[in-house]
Amino acid sequence: MTLKIIGGLLVISASGLLGLLFSNRLSLRYRELEKLRRLMQMLETEVTYGATPLPAALCSISKKSEGLISNFFINISKCLSERSFYTVREAWNESSELILTQSSLKKADIELIKSFGNILGSSDREDQKKHFQLFYLQLKHQEDAAIEEIKRSAKMYRSLGFLLGIAVFVVFA
Amino acid sequence: MKDDIKILEVLEYLPKHISAMIMKLPEKVLTDMEEIRLRLTKPICLSGSGAEIFIAGQDGSYLVNEDDLKCALQLICNYSMYSVEEELRNGFITINGGHRVGLCGRTVIDNGKVKTLKDISYMNFRVAKQIIGASDKIVGHLIRSPDSIYNTLIISPPQCGKTTLLRDLVRTLSDGRKDMLFKGMKISLVDERSEIAACSMGIPKNDVGIRTDVLDGCPKAEGIIMMIRSMSPDIVATDEIGRTEDADAITAAVNAGVNVITTIHGSNITDFIKKQDLNRIQKGVFERYVVLSRRNGAGTLEAVLDGKYDVLFEMRG
Repeated sequence: MTLKIIGGLLVISASGLLGLLFSNRLSLRYRELEKLRRLMQMLETEVTYGATPLPAALCSISKKSEGLISNFFINISKCLSERSFYTVREAWNESSELILTQSSLKKADIELIKSFGNILGSSDREDQKKHFQLFYLQLKHQEDAAIEEIKRSAKMYRSLGFLLGIAVFVVFA
Repeated sequence: MKDDIKILEVLEYLPKHISAMIMKLPEKVLTDMEEIRLRLTKPICLSGSGAEIFIAGQDGSYLVNEDDLKCALQLICNYSMYSVEEELRNGFITINGGHRVGLCGRTVIDNGKVKTLKDISYMNFRVAKQIIGASDKIVGHLIRSPDSIYNTLIISPPQCGKTTLLRDLVRTLSDGRKDMLFKGMKISLVDERSEIAACSMGIPKNDVGIRTDVLDGCPKAEGIIMMIRSMSPDIVATDEIGRTEDADAITAAVNAGVNVITTIHGSNITDFIKKQDLNRIQKGVFERYVVLSRRNGAGTLEAVLDGKYDVLFEMRG
């Protein structure tokens, strides 16, 4: 009997944790998008006010943060200063494929980020500023979607995990 | 030996396959080269010391394509077009090492002024060489006393070593010359095009002397006034004057008791006198005129004149 109870508790807590994990992953996406926005705003300042060349600008903003998003910027900066690519777009795309795919970001988020690589560095300051503004708007959509998803699904995942655990226990007990 | 070949620094800014083709040339030839030209759908052309070489690829001649130029442009502006806005407007970008890349293509006009360049299809990489001792022959003519010099104007056509001479003069006058009992003076160098000191992130890549302060990238006329106020120079040095504002700034400097060394495009003294924008400084400002040509190679000293246009030195022949 004791064995049964211990086993049951284990099953319930395991599936409950699984549910927590899923819901956590959802809010992770939102946090990463938020971090991306913060770093992009720093990059905008470097570009439009400082007119700092990209390799130096990317390197300096990535130092102000850590984690995957920051690694993404470091990697681009490295690719550019080592001349592994001849255009920002290529370095940006390569970095997105290599690093952002490991993050909790969704495919649509990564596509949005990738498209910004086409523009970065390719025009004058005024034009770059406009593109940054546009990027923030688009990023807002993704952030809103992420929040919506958290609201909708996080609770569900959490309770679903526990319920599933209980269901399994009831069926096999 | 490899360090002496300045052109290698320039090759870093070219697509790899092009620099590989150029690297195949013998070292002796590379050392002499002063220019590399890329022209859309035309062969790559190197020139220098009176020679001209067209680069051939593996199978016959290689023609420059659009991607080559785009790639070179990315490398020159460090992947950041926005950081070279002002330079594009002037038609050239100064790269690491003080080398200059001239660009040419289609201009975009805004309010009657050149806003930027696009569709860049011609590039000219000009190799800058610091020649220590380039001013040795001239400096004796310019020293007035152990702690002052004559206001000097260097007159020279393009590509005759005007900037090289100015750079070495600045170095010599700033360091001082013991053998000529010249003590060395505080020099403010207004380096509008980053060509003289070749500053990169504020550090001069060329030796411009121990008493030299460099104001990098500042328009000459404003820069001269700024430096007089802020750095209390004995000498103000600047390159390629030509506009009325420049003349005004130079007059202001001379009136403030500061000596001036500067350069101008022209092939003789009459070219200078003909320039109407500069009529404020055609009389009584400069006390020495140095005229250069490339008769015996770049930097040939043609003549040195004094303030009344009397000849102090003239090349024979």
